[in-house]
Amino acid sequence: MSTAEVMANYGPLLLAALATTVRICFIATAIAMLLGFAMALALQSRSRLLAWLARIYVEIMRGTPILVVLFLLYYGGPTIGLTLDAEPVGILGLSLYGAGYFAEIFRAGLQSIPVGQVEAARMLGISPRHIVARIQAPQMLRLVVPPSINQVIVLIKESAALSIITVPEITKVGAQISNETFAVVAPYLIVALLYWLVVEAVATAGFLVERLVRY
Amino acid sequence: MSSKTRNSLLVDVQGLHKAFGTHTVLNGIDLQIHEGEVLCVIGPSGSGKSTLLRSIAFLDPYNSGDVFFEGRLVGYRTTGGVRRLSTERELNNDRAGFGMVFQHFYLWPHMNALANVTEALRVVKKMPRAEADAVGTEMLAKVGLSAHAAKYPEQLSGGQKQRVAIARALAVRPRVMLFDEPTSALDPELVGEVLAVMKQLAAEGMTMMVVTHEMGFAAHVADKVVFMDAGKIIESGKPSELFGSPKSERLQQFLNTWRERSI
Repeated sequence: MSTAEVMANYGPLLLAALATTVRICFIATAIAMLLGFAMALALQSRSRLLAWLARIYVEIMRGTPILVVLFLLYYGGPTIGLTLDAEPVGILGLSLYGAGYFAEIFRAGLQSIPVGQVEAARMLGISPRHIVARIQAPQMLRLVVPPSINQVIVLIKESAALSIITVPEITKVGAQISNETFAVVAPYLIVALLYWLVVEAVATAGFLVERLVRY
Repeated sequence: MSSKTRNSLLVDVQGLHKAFGTHTVLNGIDLQIHEGEVLCVIGPSGSGKSTLLRSIAFLDPYNSGDVFFEGRLVGYRTTGGVRRLSTERELNNDRAGFGMVFQHFYLWPHMNALANVTEALRVVKKMPRAEADAVGTEMLAKVGLSAHAAKYPEQLSGGQKQRVAIARALAVRPRVMLFDEPTSALDPELVGEVLAVMKQLAAEGMTMMVVTHEMGFAAHVADKVVFMDAGKIIESGKPSELFGSPKSERLQQFLNTWRERSI
């Protein structure tokens, strides 16, 4: 079966798969970034316990393949009362996994801001909350855009692992088409093309954001 | 100016000790700053002058001793005879009387000059924007930078940055201004504009503690000069006494080296 034929026969299914991947990655990235930022703050917290817990989290998530995280959540989840459908589990897994990486990206961003800027703020009575929100975060944001975009792209590609827990995203649907048509090259070329489209869209958006946050 | 020392005691440092590991940085410092006084701290690099200033501001916690601001302990709370660290909120209160100017300015690069000056007014004093901007504009005028309010730090020279930093510290109306080598990071030709602003502040009666290598400034503006070496105050007194007839050999040596260098 040619690539064109696969596209013609499976168009709607492929588009649906594309939508699923985009939806999953969008939600997972948002959660991973928020959680990652919280972790980055915890990592530099004055509370040793908090910093230590965050460090353990980051090390575990960075040290575990996404596939293993997904298996543990999907098949091990029910034993601790976590019974979710494949897609929510996939989103949860990607979020938890990505947060470990974003935590380190954001920590690096926070650390590259001279400590004197924070001391100057403290001497003026500015609260820790305001120091984060008004002095550290805005500067960090600018610094972390390129590595964050990179990390989002990695997450998008890692989302292929969700096919293993039966989420009908791009890779899963590609495999399904391959099974039905006995074609291998054509469906996977389309799969590659779809990922490439998503990744390029994110990269382009990244350049725009980079320009936006410049001051 | 010596009559100023009759004014009330603002900062009282008693028996301050600080060590980084086994290295003693402050070895029993006693120091008083009275209202309206300009105190200059001089001494070789590594003598502990900056650490002393930072300890007074409680940016560097010390091992033992006391720092009082208007009779109140800075950085600690004592309850039932037991001393504990102030919480972040209490610390903000303890420090409210201090304004600090750093060697490397530490302006916030993502805000323009006016926003740097008004930030604390907005988020700490909860001033409405118009009111904060009015104060900020007044402060920038005071340091001669009215025309640069909208500029970002990277568009300013070092001297201008330091003047914005001074305006930023003044905006919250501190009782004592602490200067940590305010001109050491500047090109020689930019030093004058910053010193001029500091002189003007002194003339207006601002209480100041200045850690500096500018002997000229110390000699002409200070009411009292303190010479530190190896974590101790070796000599202190009027500038005419210290610069005119230094008693300790260490200060004589320090001043000789400085004179040779400045030829």
